[in-house]
Parts: sequence; structure tokens; C-alpha cells
Amino acid sequence: MIKACSFCLFLTLLCAPISSQTINVSSFELPNGLKVILSPNNDMQTATVCIYNTNGARNDPADARGISFLYQYLLFDGNENLESYDHILFINKMGGVVSGRVSHDNSVFYEVLPASEINVALWLESERLKSLRLEDRNIDYHKNEIFARISRLGDSSLDFKAQNWITAKIFEGLPYAYPLYGDINRMRSLNNDRIRESYRKFQNLSNIYLIITGKFDINELKAGINKFFQNIPPGKRTPEIVLNTANQHGIYSVKNWLIPGLKSNFIYFGIKSPGKINYNYVSFDFLRYYLTDPRISRLEHMLNKVNNLNIEIESNYTDYFEANALTIQLSSTERSNLERAKYILGQEFSALTKKLIGNAELKAIRSLMEIDLLKSAYDPEERCLRIGEFYHMFGELNFLDMQIKRLRKITSYDVLESAKKYLMKENQVVLNVYGE
Amino acid sequence: MANKFLPGAKFLAVAAGILFISHGHLFLFAEMRQFSFSTSKGLPVKVLQENEMPFINAQLLVFLDGSSQNYDSLLISQLTVMNMFARELSFPSTNLLDSLFRLGNDYQVEQTPEYIKISLNFLPDRLPLFTKVLREIFTYQSFHLKKFNRSKEKYRSFFTRNRDWKKEIAFLLAYQQIIGNFYFGQGLAIQDVINGINLAQLRSFQRKTFRSDNSLLILKGNINPYFALAQIEMDLPAISKSPAKNKKDEISINASRRIFVLNSSVSDSPLVYWFDVAPPVSDADYLPFFIGNFTLFGFPGGRIYQSERSQFLLGGYKVSTEIYSLKNFTVFCNFLRLNYGDLENFLLLVDQERKKFSARAIAKQEYLDALNYYLGREQVETGSFDYGVQQVIDRFQAPGALVFQTQRGPESFREVTFERVVQVMDDLMGYKHKAGVREKGIIVVIGNANLIINNLKTLKTDMVELRLD
Repeated sequence: MIKACSFCLFLTLLCAPISSQTINVSSFELPNGLKVILSPNNDMQTATVCIYNTNGARNDPADARGISFLYQYLLFDGNENLESYDHILFINKMGGVVSGRVSHDNSVFYEVLPASEINVALWLESERLKSLRLEDRNIDYHKNEIFARISRLGDSSLDFKAQNWITAKIFEGLPYAYPLYGDINRMRSLNNDRIRESYRKFQNLSNIYLIITGKFDINELKAGINKFFQNIPPGKRTPEIVLNTANQHGIYSVKNWLIPGLKSNFIYFGIKSPGKINYNYVSFDFLRYYLTDPRISRLEHMLNKVNNLNIEIESNYTDYFEANALTIQLSSTERSNLERAKYILGQEFSALTKKLIGNAELKAIRSLMEIDLLKSAYDPEERCLRIGEFYHMFGELNFLDMQIKRLRKITSYDVLESAKKYLMKENQVVLNVYGE
Repeated sequence: MANKFLPGAKFLAVAAGILFISHGHLFLFAEMRQFSFSTSKGLPVKVLQENEMPFINAQLLVFLDGSSQNYDSLLISQLTVMNMFARELSFPSTNLLDSLFRLGNDYQVEQTPEYIKISLNFLPDRLPLFTKVLREIFTYQSFHLKKFNRSKEKYRSFFTRNRDWKKEIAFLLAYQQIIGNFYFGQGLAIQDVINGINLAQLRSFQRKTFRSDNSLLILKGNINPYFALAQIEMDLPAISKSPAKNKKDEISINASRRIFVLNSSVSDSPLVYWFDVAPPVSDADYLPFFIGNFTLFGFPGGRIYQSERSQFLLGGYKVSTEIYSLKNFTVFCNFLRLNYGDLENFLLLVDQERKKFSARAIAKQEYLDALNYYLGREQVETGSFDYGVQQVIDRFQAPGALVFQTQRGPESFREVTFERVVQVMDDLMGYKHKAGVREKGIIVVIGNANLIINNLKTLKTDMVELRLD
């Protein structure tokens, strides 16, 4: 029977389809300079329309940090033809999803909706590009709302404060060192005329990519894009700000916070790591997966399974273009366990700089990373974001092919080199938070 | 005697036999082709072939008998799943965990009262490794005393890690109330009960439940179904003769009003879960109920959201909806997080709007909005990589009536007329002002019990308080 099955397998293998791990991406430009990027997937009945803006918080003027973060809210607060939140209402009513966020490197706003309704999203996006409502009343409302929310977080969340301290230390001298909202008090006192003026630079058409993924008819889509976007006036491209990450000196520092009444003790390790444009980014990502991804987590294995320390492990990664921070948070009610965990973590980092990681582990990490990459390529909104970021960083449209090639090239030696470079003490900041 | 002239003839015959026995058939399911097989070891296999999907999503369902579960059997099944699959318990390793690691380690296990679902994503060239994983699941014998003790000791920590465990607990509570098998009376996850469970119970549960003839396998991706089937046939273990226990299909459903308060020491705002029982998705009354629920809880056009803003001057809380599709019924879970001070107003408002169905039936515009939303949502969900899998499960659980799942578009709405929706809502919501009809809807509130009780003044008498921590 087994032989029979084997033969059957052989027969069927002959007609087994070979899986394609690529995506179809093309682009064109409107006469007004708007870059349009299309990536169809006709296996689904949905489409995503995404406005990818190459401006992010790092483009904020030094004396007006947080201005882009404010736009994140104002962009949903109506325009000449639509009332506040009508944009969300329109898309929700048809079963779709609206979202958006401003990051340090870019700003992304998108709608996921039934493919047949794609023109509604094009219309909504073009409306807010043309005429965003920037009246004193709604600007002041959002300034106060953000102020109240961030102040609340600052008062109540220890983790929020700790993460801010870590990023400020790791990115000292870079715009990434500031939170997206900048200085909360200064943001609240920003002049509204300044906010209106800066918006013209922020929503400049030559800084924007219109990215569409999912199912669409190319001719109908092009007609829709022309109808809604061709009358928007062109803009002048804002020069890219290049950050000088190379000159950053060693950042090692240790800080202790003693907090009365704290039940659990925490240790935060912040590790300065390469940005997405850096060639070492992928090899460091191998290390990050190896140490912290819950599906592999070497740290969980070392601290809790082998040494039975009962430590809660969490991690956070910034995912910026030019430099990154990996934060590992260890917590335990037993301070002695935490101290031991700190020692073991140090030993583990040190071992990674001396010893190659095993082939089986390398294979497992690679396959996890590949699966995650393929999932993001399949998901229409993730695909938009990845395409936008990749084009923004490298001028390449097909992120998947290039990323998979990079992934498959990584060897244990690359990971070792990456560990030698980024897991050394000079690259770390440590924050100990203990109950007093 | 072997045929000297054509040595492969016997193999060919067997291969053809496998394909013949498997009753393969295909039909169109949205954009996907679906193939249905049953292996010689009794495992039903459904393949959703999608050529543009660059990886394979596999979901193995192992069926449980939810209606006869008690607190002990629930814990036994949960501990079995933990001991087999929890990454936190992977030391010392087992053949199953090693195979999962080789497959790529991207898996998660969920449990409902009716089944354990193991979802895996892997690269297409690892299909042969996946069938080895299947074999390990069905032949698992690696229970380890040290790991078992650790799973009991750390039960709460493992159960709450990386999942929305509050929603899960709330649903379990509502489910037990609905089927009239309420067993959480003393509190939840009580260590004494956990300590009383032994390893032999886990072994016995695993042997009886993890059987190929008590499971369903769904594969989605760019797959050659015949290749997949042959692989599975080759690796699946033979099953013992005693068939899996027949499940009781007849249960009585009781969704009368009950308010549960679960005390949690975490100081966040309270979470409110409102559960309603609806017909199964294969039933013609399902969609009318969906429309009614959307008319009430939908955002931003729903009656509750609109009244919240105009009547009570609340913050305008957005309610999310999740639908649990079970064999004999569906549970609609409408949930939100809100301030303690708004709790009672919100619950009273929901009741008031439900009662209005008798006086103010669904308007034509509300009906059209809900239909539009339903159709749109269906299309948007096709972008998810596991789209179609739940529909296959629903169809497997309730073969026969397949009104809405196989054909979308105007045809499927022939029976969902406006009048039908009005009638079904009036019947199912139970607010026809008939004498003796109790209010419906099971409410679970999770938060600081003292604050919750202090804020629920008029609803106090209906409450059941349970320990969560």
C-alpha cells in the first residue's frame, strides 16, 4: 500500500502546480505629478485605496514637532463637501474599513472596501486632498483632545513613560528621539495659521503615492483616477531629509527608577539596531525573531523553560527607516529572579556574538519570516503599506521579490556578524524599574 | 503474481482506487475551487484551491461534545491542548513539537465548546511535513508528568497569554447558560478543580477525541488536491475500530436574560458583552436576524449609537460585533468598553431599543442599509487569507440548507424580504409584548465588581457575581 501511495504521489506530483511567490505591481504618473501604483489580485472581491505620504513626523519643523500627528486627526474631520467623520460613515456603511496613521517616516491613510465601490474611496481621498477643513474650532478641539489623552497616558502608564525614555536615549540627536506628538505643551500652543500653512507642504501632491491593491478593472480604475485626481494642482517635491545615523556614539547607559507600591519589577533593555534601509536590517531581523518572536523565542526558552525563572517577556520594535530600537521588557514579582534573568540575557547576547546559530534554527526563522512576508503580501492593506515603503526607500516597486531574495541569502555568519555589531553593550540602554 | 510487462500496473490500479474512493468533486465557491474528499481513515478533507495564495493555510478541527461538557471535562480538554501544543511547555520537546518546528512553527490553537481548531500556515513545499504533523497529532503519546504539573501550576498564565481571554471566558459563560448546562457556579479556573485532574484523564481524552474520523481538515492555497490527498493517505495512522462517540444533537436553547459580573483586579474600564442566540447560518432566518442586530448595534447608523448621542449624551460608544457559528445555533456577541458611570444607562438603552421593535419595526431604509453592509462586508472579507474556511465549517456542520453561503448576490436574498425581516425580529427578539415572555440576551460585564455593582442600581436583582481572579 505504501509503495502504491508513493507511486500515486509521484504521478500527482507531476501535475502539482508550482507556487508563485511574486506580486504584480505597475505604476504611472498623472500630469500633475501624482504617482499611481497598482497591484491587482483578482482572487478577492475587495480593493484597498491608500494615500501614502512620504512626509512623516521627522519632516516636522524643529519648533513645531507634532504638527503631522495633529493632521492624523484633522484628516477625518471633514472638508468642503463632507462633515466630520462622514468619510468613515460612507465606508463603514458599505462594510468597509477606514484607517490611517502618521509615523516618523511617512503617513498612510487607506480604505478597504468592496471592489465594486472603489470610486467612492477615490472620491473621498481626492476630497480631503483638495479641501481639508482647518478651522480654528476643529484644530483647537484636536489639540486639546491629544493633550488630554497623552497627559492621561503619561500619568497612568509606566510602560508609556519607560518606552519614551528608552527611545529618547537610543535615538539621541535624531528626530526619532521625540514622540510623534513632539512636546505636548508646545503642540497645544502652536499657532493655527502655522498649522494651516504647514498642511499645504504636508499634502503636497509630489510627496504622495496613490496605491491601489486588490480587485479592479484597469480601464475603469484609470478613468476614476483621472476624474477625481487630475484637477488637483501639482506641488513641489519636499527634499528628503537624510538622517546622519553613522556619527552616533556609544549610547550605553543604565537608569534605575524606584516606584513606591509597585507590585512587579521591570527591566527594559533597549537595543539600537539598523534601520530598514540598512543592508544589515534583515540579518538583525533574524536575531530579533530568534530572541523575541513568541513562535521561536529563545529568551522564553532560556529564562523560563531551562532556568524556570517565571519571567514575563515582552518586546517592542520601532520599524523605522534609518535606525531602530528593539526593546525587551522583562518583569517579575521576584526581584532576585529578574536579576538572574538579566545575567542570563547578558550571557545569551555574548554567546550570540561568538557562536553560530544552528542550521535548524536558521531554517525555522527563515521560514517564519518568509510566511510573515507572504501573509503581508496577500493582505491588501499590508501590501499597500509595504509597496509604498519600499518604493519610498529604494525606488523599487516589487518589495516581495527583493525581500525574499535578501531573506534567502542570509547565512549563520551574517547573523553572527549582526550580533557582533548590535548586541554589544555600547549599543544598549537599560532601565531598571523596581518597587521601592 | 506481479505483472512482468507492466510492473506499475498494480500501483496504478491502487492509485486510481484511492482517487475513486475519495469521491472527489468540485464546485465553484466564490473565486475558489473547492474539492471534497474523505480518506480511507475517515478524515474528511476540503481543499480550497486559490492559485494566487503563496502559502498554505491548514485548519484541523477536532470535534468536542459541547452540550455535555462540565467544568472538569472543559479543563481536561484545555489541559490536553496545552500539553500538546503550548510553546511554553516545549521543554523537553516531543515529536509533535519537533514536526511543528520543522513545518515553520506558525500555528495557533483555539477552542470552542464544539471543537478544537489547530490553524497552521506553511510554505507549499512543506506539504509532506504537514502530513507528518497530522500523524503526530493523531498518534500523540508524549504526555510528560513534569510538563503536566507545570501546566496545572501555570494554567491561568498560559490561558491568558496572547489571546482575548476575557471575551473567551464571557462566551463560554454565555454558551453554558444558553444550553442550560451552567457549571461555573463557584467561579472560574479554580485551582482546586485543576489540581484534581490527573494525567490518565488527559491520555484518555486524547485517545477518544483526536481521531481522524472525529475531525475535519481544510486546506487553502495553491494546492494540487490529489497530491495533497495522496500524501495524507500515506501518513495518516489507521484508526481503531471503536468509532468516535456520537454527539447529542438535541439540545434545548435558553437565552433568557441573565447578567453576570466577573470581578477582575485590572483597573481598566469595564467590558460589556451582550450575547443573543440566533438561528444557524444555514437557516433562512439567520440573515433577517443579522439585519435586526445591525439595525440595533451597527456603527454609525444603528439605533443604539444614534440614541446614545441624542438621548443620554454618552460618549457615543462604538459597539463591535462578533458572530460565533455553532452547529445548532449562532451566537451574536455585541461588545464594547465604556466608563463605569455609563454602564447602567447603556444597558437600559439597549433594552429600550429592543422593545421598540414592536412599536417601531425596522424601516425600509434600515433594512437596505443592513443588506448593503452585509454584502459589502462579505466582499471585504475575501481579502483575508483564511476567507472561505469558516463557510466550509458551517456547511460541514449543517449539510443541506445552503442558502447564503454558496451563492452570493441578489439570488440569495429572495427569501430575505423586508416583511420577513420584520416578522423574524419580532419573533426572535421576544418583544412582542406577549405575556410570560422573558427578556432575552445574556450580559457579561468584566471589571471591578464593586464599581460595577455600585453603578448598576436598577439592574442589581438580575446579577450573578463570579470570581475571575
